[in-house]
Amino acid sequence: MIHPLAVALVILTGALAVFGIVSTVLGKPPERPIVLAVGVVESLLVAQALIAAVRVLGGVRPAETSTFLIYLLVSVCVLPFFLQFARAEPNRWGGAVIAVGAVAMGVVVLRLLELWAGAHV
Amino acid sequence: MSEPAPEQRATATGPGRVLIAVYAIFALSATARAGVQLATKFHEAPLAYLLSAFSGVVYILATIGLARTGPAARRLAWTAVSIELVGVLVVGSLSVFDRAAFPSATVWSGYGAGYGWVPLVLPLLGLFWLFRTGRNGVGKAR
Repeated sequence: MIHPLAVALVILTGALAVFGIVSTVLGKPPERPIVLAVGVVESLLVAQALIAAVRVLGGVRPAETSTFLIYLLVSVCVLPFFLQFARAEPNRWGGAVIAVGAVAMGVVVLRLLELWAGAHV
Repeated sequence: MSEPAPEQRATATGPGRVLIAVYAIFALSATARAGVQLATKFHEAPLAYLLSAFSGVVYILATIGLARTGPAARRLAWTAVSIELVGVLVVGSLSVFDRAAFPSATVWSGYGAGYGWVPLVLPLLGLFWLFRTGRNGVGKAR
């Protein structure tokens, strides 16, 4: 893991959640801007997962390594499904669906950080 | 918005989709958590870990019931969400009054305090949503 990237992801998933909630409040269906926002967050999550996976393969052992790897997998899998689910019925509630996914991924990144802090090389 | 619906409203529409999203997250986290617990340290707290797995299954069934349309799916959702409410109340109470039985946390321990109380609020929202969307059809059927 790269600490600044993880911290940035916690902030960005929070921002994405706010974006989603605002579009629900304004009654807007999920369109291009929020799709792009999800794309940016997802790309960074994938980058983080790759970096972390390479470092684990390189011998770093986070606390509870198997849990850590499951969290890594979850961190990249959820948002694509949620984006699709949000856009399948294009109305105001799509934004809130994306917000739920974003908050969950923020929590996942926090858990990853916690486990990584307990790592030993 | 409020055009009279001839049939029951499907649960997987409008705000129901947000509910399903939250259920899906809990289905995933409870199941994954239980999987790791059962695989790596089952002997430490068998009851807590089996309850973890049970809660995961309940969340999965509730997600499926709410996401699909039709009387069978609605029955499944009613059953799963009711079990979920009983589960969080019983396990929550046990974990508060009999700590020895729960040396390790489950999703429902402390009424879901470790998960921002969402496990306590979620079944109430689920039952409310099932009631709201089911009302039309029930009135018509009789």
